[in-house]
Amino acid sequence: VNLVHVDELDAIEMPEGFVWRPVRRHFGIRAFGTNAYTPGANGQIVEEHTEEQLGHEEVYLVLRGRVRFTIDGNDHELGPGQLVFVRDPSLRRGGVALTEDAAVLAVGGKPGEAHEISTWEYVFVASPYVQADRWAEAERLMQEGLEEKPGDPALLYHFACLEARAGKPDAALEHLLAAVEAGERFREYAQTDEDFVSIRDDPRFPR
Amino acid sequence: MSGGYTILSLDEAQTATHRDCTLIPVRHHLRFRAAGVNAWKADAGDQLVPPHSEDPGMEELYVVVSGRATFTVDDETTSAPPGSLIFVPPGIHRRAEAAEDGTIVFAIGGAVGRAFESSGWGNAITANLAAEDIDLWYVHYDAGCHEVSARRSDDAFEHLRHAKELDSEGESAAYFREDSRLDPLRDDPRFQDLLA
Repeated sequence: VNLVHVDELDAIEMPEGFVWRPVRRHFGIRAFGTNAYTPGANGQIVEEHTEEQLGHEEVYLVLRGRVRFTIDGNDHELGPGQLVFVRDPSLRRGGVALTEDAAVLAVGGKPGEAHEISTWEYVFVASPYVQADRWAEAERLMQEGLEEKPGDPALLYHFACLEARAGKPDAALEHLLAAVEAGERFREYAQTDEDFVSIRDDPRFPR
Repeated sequence: MSGGYTILSLDEAQTATHRDCTLIPVRHHLRFRAAGVNAWKADAGDQLVPPHSEDPGMEELYVVVSGRATFTVDDETTSAPPGSLIFVPPGIHRRAEAAEDGTIVFAIGGAVGRAFESSGWGNAITANLAAEDIDLWYVHYDAGCHEVSARRSDDAFEHLRHAKELDSEGESAAYFREDSRLDPLRDDPRFQDLLA
């Protein structure tokens, strides 16, 4: 039986304060998006965010403990077996654990479309390596992401960020130019992104 | 139920009976469209998830929310406490019994490489709920949509009118206006009453 307990999943501490427990990636699920979350040191359990970019509908189910969700400015305290379904992708949502043992399962996807692995999964899974300056592992994960999602502008951009920080200006510029080519909004992001301090004066840098 | 989000307590949600098991039709209650989500509940010794296997391409994940479940997947049996996640690939036989009272398992399913669509199985659940005359507007609304797809317009109008009567908050109005499943009825004069 392919069984894992939520506490046995990888625990990836994100800079925003929550701990990501990759469920979809653990099992290699391809039909839908699902992940679990436990609280970080500051108690955040679900990152404050919207789903506008992805257009996802999301369900957040409390598996254990108590969580205060804030959805569109309204607070709701939920316990085990209670869920909140956020239909409208534009609503801002987040959750703070009220007990240390809290765990939340999230399920999401875009109605009417086959599930695609979200780019952020690769960025999240690389995050501990980036925080520890372990560039080779982080680069390998970006490569894995590009094999799954060739030409994905956000992945190309993140790849460029960590190459710039790793002291690989040529590779960073190549990926950054490809990101800007595939998604114009990345040109603007690049102008102020601290990750690009080392390459911003290069004549090849996209203006 | 309004404002773009919905809160649901699994142990208080309306249930339906499916193959002698107690189903909490979560997707139906939420009108979630991105994947199949449901839950099952049972007391100690009772069947929790009916024995079945899924069609090719259908992946399923079970999550134990409360109690304790005994899962049998492809003849291998294991005990699953709360917080357990069990992944079952397509075509593999699976079933579960409850080992404690008040056991609840949440199930997520979907097809690899294609958009989620409610199955014939999901429609049967809808029809059962409507037959039990559960007074939730969307039970009758979904039953109406099901009758449209079965080309039974008179039955569809009956369910849809009932849905509109039950909907005291006016939540159904947007669905009547926009749901493409109702398109075959839109030229029928009776449809105007539903939009009024």
